[in-house]
Amino acid sequence: MQKFSFNRRLVIIIVCLIVSFALMTVSVTIRNKKSTPPLIQQFGNDIVGLVDRVVAFPANGLSGSVSSISELLNTYQENQQLKQQVSELAQTKVRDQTLAKENKQLKQELKLNASLTDYTAVSAAVITRTPSSWQNQVVINKGAAAGVKKNMPVMSGSGLIGRIAEVNKTNSKVELITDNNDSANRFAVQITTKSGTTVNGVLSGYKSTTGQVTMDNITTKAKLSKGDKVVTSGLGGVTPKGLYVGTVAKASGSDYGLATKLYITPATDLSSLNVVTVAVTKQ
Amino acid sequence: MYRLSKLRFGFPIGLFLLLLLDGSISQSFSVQLFRYPSAMVSHLVVLWLVCGAIFEADQGEAYPMPLAVWAAIAGAVFDLYYTGIFGVYVFVFPVVIYVTRRLVLYIRPNFLSGLLIYFIDITIVEALGYLASRAIHLTTMSGSSFLVNTLGPTLAFNLAMFVILYFPIRWVYNWLK
Repeated sequence: MQKFSFNRRLVIIIVCLIVSFALMTVSVTIRNKKSTPPLIQQFGNDIVGLVDRVVAFPANGLSGSVSSISELLNTYQENQQLKQQVSELAQTKVRDQTLAKENKQLKQELKLNASLTDYTAVSAAVITRTPSSWQNQVVINKGAAAGVKKNMPVMSGSGLIGRIAEVNKTNSKVELITDNNDSANRFAVQITTKSGTTVNGVLSGYKSTTGQVTMDNITTKAKLSKGDKVVTSGLGGVTPKGLYVGTVAKASGSDYGLATKLYITPATDLSSLNVVTVAVTKQ
Repeated sequence: MYRLSKLRFGFPIGLFLLLLLDGSISQSFSVQLFRYPSAMVSHLVVLWLVCGAIFEADQGEAYPMPLAVWAAIAGAVFDLYYTGIFGVYVFVFPVVIYVTRRLVLYIRPNFLSGLLIYFIDITIVEALGYLASRAIHLTTMSGSSFLVNTLGPTLAFNLAMFVILYFPIRWVYNWLK
């Protein structure tokens, strides 16, 4: 009798393992292939998201007030520095507006309706973050109803932070570029060097010890130097051209010594995200 | 009687509240918790489940709770809402309940032995979660850096949470009973 119950337990464990792996495989496949999760999952996530907004509101408000008190302490110094930057920015902004207007007119003359740089920004608030040490994911409060689609790039502050991994009706999940899984941070980017040549490549990973994004397999002869700006190139997919990623921190030989490997400092602090912007492109 | 007590509704409400608080804590204190490369992961929902099993054992036969079922439901919500990969925590949370129920048969649960049990449970949650993530290529983290950068800090954080929240949660259970 004892033997029988032991066997039964073993069978239960093995069945559970098999079912677990089957479910995981199915959900990974759906995540990679389909643009939206199954209807039941979407519905469930929408309901949980609604409840979570009620729970998250006081919690996020509390931490917001705590951080604003600590920020108050070094406000004076920051104010001095920012004033200088603002006067410079005003100039750049006016010039930017003029150029954008000119660009639009020129495009109309050429009958170009949508080029790689066109996108509309949808801003969203971060509701919650996945409590996990390897899945760096946040849930934002805009979904398919606001025009968000899978794989759209997401920005915060001045730079790119990740891409939409899953879209529900009223909320969606953002995979940050600090996530190191197989598909999280593969963005097509380009770097314009000081001499004016453009180097194309793909982001390939994240180095958690230094907090830098890596870009591997660059075979160009162009000299890349520290401080060169990295922007998205708009090639191959839904990411528009010209989203700021970060600056080059270090260039070194890659793991096998054949190509160059770049280390890029992200433009945004990826550990504290409150408001993000989704770049919605016409597809 | 469990069937007639407030616990019947209070337990799931507390469960989902703490499940959602896990995410809110991770979001609000992300600067402090996720200081790369090390990461502290909040598992308040496991704390609620384990405390449920401990107090159930304390009360004897009068309050048998459907803990494994609620653990599976909490795990399913965790999988769908937080990670997007179904089939990991929906099995891990019931395993935690099973292990805790086996352990309280041998160890008489109180504050200190509860700490020990919770230590084992968090290790199970993190280790199984890590193995599943490795299996489906969600992470490429090596085993040694998992132990140092994730398991260590997570255990420290969650045991601190156990010390702080054990008596409040016991008070809540006694009030709900």
